[in-house]
Amino acid sequence: MKAPFQTRYLILTLVCLVFGVAIVIQMIRINYSPSAKDLIAKSEDYQGVAEVIYPSRGNIHDRSGHILATNKIAYEVGIDLKYVADPESIAFTAASLLDMDYADAFALASTAKQETDENRYFVLASYIDEDIILELDRLKESYYQRRLDEGTLTPSLSGLVWTPMQQRVYPENELAANILGFFNYFSRESAQGVYGVEETYNRLLTGKPESVYMANDPYLVEALPDIEPGASLVLTIDREIQAMLEDTLADAIDWSGAEGGTIIVIDPETGELLGMAATPTFDPNNYWDYEESFPGITPYNRAIGYAYEPGSVFKVITMAAALDSGVVDPSTTYTDSSGVFWVDGAWPIYNWDGGAWGEQDMTGCMQHSLNVCLAHIAVDLLGEDLFYQYVQAFGFGRSTGIDLAGEANYPLRLPDDNQWVVLDLATNSFGQGIAVTPIQMISAVAAIANDGKMMAPHIVRSIVDGGQQYDITPQIIGNPISAEAAQTLTTMLAIALEEEASEALVDGYQLAGKTGTGEIPTELGYTSTLTNTSFVGWGPTDDPKFVVYVWLEKPTISKWGSVVAAPVFRDVVEQLVVLMKIPPDEIRLQMAEN
Amino acid sequence: MKNRLLQAYKQAPWRVQMQWIGLFLLALVILAALAGLYLSINSKAATAGRSIQFLESNIEAINNNIAELTTDLAEAKSIERMKTRARELGFTLINPQSAVYLQVPGYVPEDEMVLAPPRVNIINETPIIQSAYKDSLWDWLAKNIWLIPGSSSEEGGVQ
Repeated sequence: MKAPFQTRYLILTLVCLVFGVAIVIQMIRINYSPSAKDLIAKSEDYQGVAEVIYPSRGNIHDRSGHILATNKIAYEVGIDLKYVADPESIAFTAASLLDMDYADAFALASTAKQETDENRYFVLASYIDEDIILELDRLKESYYQRRLDEGTLTPSLSGLVWTPMQQRVYPENELAANILGFFNYFSRESAQGVYGVEETYNRLLTGKPESVYMANDPYLVEALPDIEPGASLVLTIDREIQAMLEDTLADAIDWSGAEGGTIIVIDPETGELLGMAATPTFDPNNYWDYEESFPGITPYNRAIGYAYEPGSVFKVITMAAALDSGVVDPSTTYTDSSGVFWVDGAWPIYNWDGGAWGEQDMTGCMQHSLNVCLAHIAVDLLGEDLFYQYVQAFGFGRSTGIDLAGEANYPLRLPDDNQWVVLDLATNSFGQGIAVTPIQMISAVAAIANDGKMMAPHIVRSIVDGGQQYDITPQIIGNPISAEAAQTLTTMLAIALEEEASEALVDGYQLAGKTGTGEIPTELGYTSTLTNTSFVGWGPTDDPKFVVYVWLEKPTISKWGSVVAAPVFRDVVEQLVVLMKIPPDEIRLQMAEN
Repeated sequence: MKNRLLQAYKQAPWRVQMQWIGLFLLALVILAALAGLYLSINSKAATAGRSIQFLESNIEAINNNIAELTTDLAEAKSIERMKTRARELGFTLINPQSAVYLQVPGYVPEDEMVLAPPRVNIINETPIIQSAYKDSLWDWLAKNIWLIPGSSSEEGGVQ
């Protein structure tokens, strides 16, 4: 006897079984179907996306903490094809607000209709200001309201999306641009610092980007790793001094008709650069204008990237060598009877004015900038071995190693070289036939101002990384001359300036310094009437706090350093002593006594 | 006789049915409890996941805001703006000859720029190898099972 409902139970069981088997078969079929890979890929897309998180780039501060480089928020605007409903409205908006070509934007926004499997996100524009984003947001909202009111599907900006991103910004605009360099942020993947501090410290400033998986599925979401921002830098420059130098340089170029120039101020005790102005310059916020501002092979920072024949400022080095080696002392005399010094009996060396200056002591030689006297010291007293030994000890012929990208170096022509002749020794003694960069020149002279101790010139004072500040310790890189020789030379140059009643003198402050007028070689020799004019000086002489180097290239109002560069030096020092809070000597010495 | 014995051991059919129904209901309750637990944990995980997403987005927004404010502040304090403000307030650049210097007893000049504490060498006193990696099974049992509550595990010892 059959149990009641047995057949019905059997049928129901069979139906369930068949249904279950069908589900399993369908699952297997889907898994092995040709579209399986696409389906899996799509599902993974919806689960989340792998992204690289870029830490915010470190700030750059001046020595007082003022921000010279930081980051602001800009936006990337793109099309997410998944959600595009109205390509025409998107294209019209992109054309009107993002300055895009309507046809290009429309083609991108329409891609979904033709190639659904293609990339589903297109970047329309990067680094868009917040004002435009607010306008886009307002427009999107108003279209939404309109659709609700009219019960239509268009207009719609659905699919037009924007994401915030950090953009490098230089709040002081052109100030210190030659020192800072710039960050070419437009292509995020290949962005890097170019020139200056941005290039030298690029890795530190950048920090460490990390790849993370950004899950949409809430079950897979994990807290993002704590990504440290890039290290921040505190520079040695003072923005007040930097601004003053840049203004003074611009005025000097305007006044003198010079093609370009540079002014550097350095602290001789530490090698810290307090300011460095150079031409040309530009606004690194618009770094894409770089080639317009620096055409051809124009160096980005003339103060470190351009070698030239310095002229008479180099006599300071020759005299330092002579004093330190003991071949002369301040009272040693030289009689310039004819205004000419014959090298090997074949090559004549003349004074700057072609005249003869009679008997001069060493201070007189420096005061009147006598080429024949310095050539005599180099050729007859020092000799090539000793002379070049000192020149190299002062750092010429090699890079200073300053922490700024783009430093140039011109090798010295030494007696071992085939092309060297004894005439080189004579001309090198007064700064001709030798190429130096302004940073080499000021570093060498700073050693004299610092009792013979040569400090490594540097631009970064501290690095702030991982919540800790690392201060850079000043480095002594050499001791080319003794303290006694350095002090003697400082006194000689101070006397020389005062007796010359130089344009470089500043009331109340005793300064030491030397002018320079360098002839410019051409392919045919020294045929150009244009010159490089310069002045290097330091003070206060009893306790030097600054060394200032002024170089103006090819001025047209005069070819002499004493006329062109010396007054600029005075202008700089007059402002510098105020900014550095250095009282006049009399007051300072009185205060020291109390 | 045999039949009578069997009859004595056999449970009443309604009792068997009740047992089956009871077992089925028990399984159903266990399954429902497990499903409930699963749903509860999943909903908590999903809520936590959403909270993380929300907080991450908040962090990003705050960081962006900080960056924006830092830039605004830097621009507001830029040297050009400060010069303009100074001029508007009637200040002019001093020349060194007209400067008056006063000796102020007790005046301490500006300190070095400090953006963060100086670097310090931190000596980590935590043992590099955790005790969990050095203990034997016996040590572990001693510390975690027989240890008197309140006594330090490092002081250890079976009490």
